[in-house]
Amino acid sequence: MQSTTYKQLLPVLFLTTALQLLSFQATAGPMGFKDSFMAMGDFSNNWQELFVNYAITPRDAFGVSATYMRSDDKNKTRTLEEITYTRLLKRWNLPNSQANLWFLGGVGALQGEDEQIGKDNEFDKVMFTPGIQFDYETTRVYLAATHRLYRANDINHDFSSVRAGFSFYETDYDKTQPWFILEARNMNGLSDKTEITPMLRLINKSFFVEAGVNNSREPRFNFMYIF
Amino acid sequence: MKKLYAIIFVTLFSQTAFAVQTIKANVNGMVCAFCAQGIEKKMRALSQTKDVYVNLKQRVVAIELKDGQTLSNDTVKDLIKDAGYEITSIEITEHPVAHIKAELEKK
Repeated sequence: MQSTTYKQLLPVLFLTTALQLLSFQATAGPMGFKDSFMAMGDFSNNWQELFVNYAITPRDAFGVSATYMRSDDKNKTRTLEEITYTRLLKRWNLPNSQANLWFLGGVGALQGEDEQIGKDNEFDKVMFTPGIQFDYETTRVYLAATHRLYRANDINHDFSSVRAGFSFYETDYDKTQPWFILEARNMNGLSDKTEITPMLRLINKSFFVEAGVNNSREPRFNFMYIF
Repeated sequence: MKKLYAIIFVTLFSQTAFAVQTIKANVNGMVCAFCAQGIEKKMRALSQTKDVYVNLKQRVVAIELKDGQTLSNDTVKDLIKDAGYEITSIEITEHPVAHIKAELEKK
């Protein structure tokens, strides 16, 4: 049993180490600027996440996260409390655009419940969640791709998402800018289908909010706040 | 006559010492107000700063200093780097932030 766990975790540990070794340089998406806190929330019926981190350098942030996951048939539920680490592996600051490659990772306590006929199966496990994100943004266009492993012994809820969007118009720095964002995402082992969510995003210098309705006609709300 | 010299001296001296000084920097990668707020917060936190202006379209950050205050280019570069961006050029101008804002918003 123990050797199986190590074998399963080996690729995860390898990926984590490799990404950290690759991060030769960089400076801050999923984290704010040096000495800032960033709070993030992602809320839908089957995925609810609250996340706060603190940037100790322009490219490293440590935080805590709480996530609730549920399968489409509502038979599987998971809660995860993690300690997280975010690193900006590489940033490309171009005259009219910016691109970033991020490492996102965490380790935490997973509590799960699988409802079965006759007997429910409840368990507690240690979960590892390493992942990468790439994003590209101009004042009018936004593209992002994220793949994050959510692994524990005999559990695989890997998360993949792709986002693309455009702003309706350019605005001054202190004005609110509206965007249209389309996201496709999948949570392995929880949903067989790809969730598609068109969202309206509003960005201001002090807040970032997104709201939409997914292809299952369920509401979705996201926010980010730096302080 | 001595009084006149004194008045001229004081007037000239005060104009030299307290002329408006604004640091104007061109910054790469500044595409989003939410992300660029770090630049404004870091600049406003300095005791030397009177006003800050950020223009995303023109990729310009302008920092107007308080009377008699100075700020090195290296400090500005380091703070903008800490906020996650890169300065491509930097200059010192005697125009206040309000003037730079009006000029850039005309473009």
